[in-house]
Amino acid sequence: MLDSGLDPAHLAQLLALPFMQRALVAGLLTGLLGGVLGSVAVLRQLSFFSDALGHSALLGISLGILSGLNPTLVLIPFAVLFALGVNQLAGRSQLPTDALLNIVYSSSLALAVLLLSRVRSYKGGIQQLLFGDILGVSWLDLGVILLLLIAAGGYLLLTRRSQILLTIDEPLAISRGVAAGWHRMVFIVVLAVVVAISIKAVGVLLISAFVVIPACASRLVSRSFGTYVLVAALLGAGCAVVGLLASGLFDLPSGPSVVVVQLLGFLLALLLAPLSRVARP
Amino acid sequence: MAEMILEVSHLTICREGSTVVDDVSFSLEAESDTALVGPNGAGKSTLVQAILGVLPRRSGQVRVLGHSLGARGQLPAAVRDQLAYLPQSIALRGRFPLSVAEFVGLGWERAGLALPWRGGRARRAAVALALAKVGGEALADRLVSDLSTGQLKRALLAFCVVRPRRLLVLDEAQAGLDSRAAEQFHGLLFDLRRSEGWTILQVSHDLDMVRRTCSGVLCLNRSLRCSGTPDHALSPAQLERLYGRGWVSYHHHHPGASRG
Repeated sequence: MLDSGLDPAHLAQLLALPFMQRALVAGLLTGLLGGVLGSVAVLRQLSFFSDALGHSALLGISLGILSGLNPTLVLIPFAVLFALGVNQLAGRSQLPTDALLNIVYSSSLALAVLLLSRVRSYKGGIQQLLFGDILGVSWLDLGVILLLLIAAGGYLLLTRRSQILLTIDEPLAISRGVAAGWHRMVFIVVLAVVVAISIKAVGVLLISAFVVIPACASRLVSRSFGTYVLVAALLGAGCAVVGLLASGLFDLPSGPSVVVVQLLGFLLALLLAPLSRVARP
Repeated sequence: MAEMILEVSHLTICREGSTVVDDVSFSLEAESDTALVGPNGAGKSTLVQAILGVLPRRSGQVRVLGHSLGARGQLPAAVRDQLAYLPQSIALRGRFPLSVAEFVGLGWERAGLALPWRGGRARRAAVALALAKVGGEALADRLVSDLSTGQLKRALLAFCVVRPRRLLVLDEAQAGLDSRAAEQFHGLLFDLRRSEGWTILQVSHDLDMVRRTCSGVLCLNRSLRCSGTPDHALSPAQLERLYGRGWVSYHHHHPGASRG
């Protein structure tokens, strides 16, 4: 029988549970992934994009449920199409991107809720879609997240020069031979796939926190690009592990627990930010 | 015959349906310093960005170091390495966690895939030398978003000088600088041009500076109105044709001889 509260015996019991072990590894990997991609996404003003994608993903999931396919399998192509569509739309339209994203995500959300209201047999419950079910992550899900982490990490490492130049100034980047349009598109697609994969664990409402909060906290205190990405990744992973343990120990919902820990990390960074400004040789 | 660094022939650029640069041809000899002048909206920045491959062109040809610029702005990586661009400003929104040394290092790195730690020692040495050449050693560990306008221009110049270049394209490099800082910046640019053997194409509004330092002038107002040496191209009659009546008398009484 499980106790609750903070004592070593309880912690040991918790860590012995296979689903808890999977959840912790999933949190660690998702946190790393969110931190690394988020550090570029935040500088490129894509915070709202990940939020909108998370909300729109509910439509992808509903389509999956309705068609009887595995929702994750439907979600990945859905996210890629969403990313490409938004990228095209933002490039051609005269409207600001945040307004466009708002239109796309609120209409996707509305359609998703309408679709789900027709599905009476759906057992999972909307609660799990909204806030995720990190305790229900399988070894297969973990494998997919790990592959994605390797692929996304490798891509960013190898194209680091292009990614930073593009984030500073597009004409400057192009003048240095960076294929701007191509890199912009690939990054958005990678971000979309990462968001889609992480949704099962974190839920559609809070997924953008994984991308945005650790990166912003790191941005406040870092004095070079290398440390910025590293701190964002470690913060993402650390907050996820601490949040999940807290959720297990005190029997709290997992996604929100992680986000609250991220918030604490962000507040800490806010306090430390003035120190990193004066610390100058 | 002198080597031609940049050859532009019959270049026409359209933006949103209207022609903003019309049938422009010129070429730049090695180690020349040419100013591109003209009123606001004349298409100067557009022309420069088309030459760099940032904006598409409608028709015409651009050759950099003898290599044709592709329709979508492609140039061989070895040619790109020898071409540098100094924009009017870079718009960094909020704190940008990139140190000046890292930024200058990006100018040293070549196009294509590479691991971040490639080049290690050679890159650090090149960055330190570049910062020394622009008098920006003290900036190395500062964040690019913490720099003043003048310091940012130095960092951008270091980004250009960190690797040997042949052609430097500047878009209103003096924008945002007060007159003292602009003077310093041009002094630095002038020295580097001679020591590095750069060919320069610069968009400029400062006709006094153009008269003093440039070897050639291109007057643009959608099409090329005149070109030649500063004495010829910036004569009162030519300026009146370019900018319209009334502008010339005002600007021509500037005391250009106030510095020794």
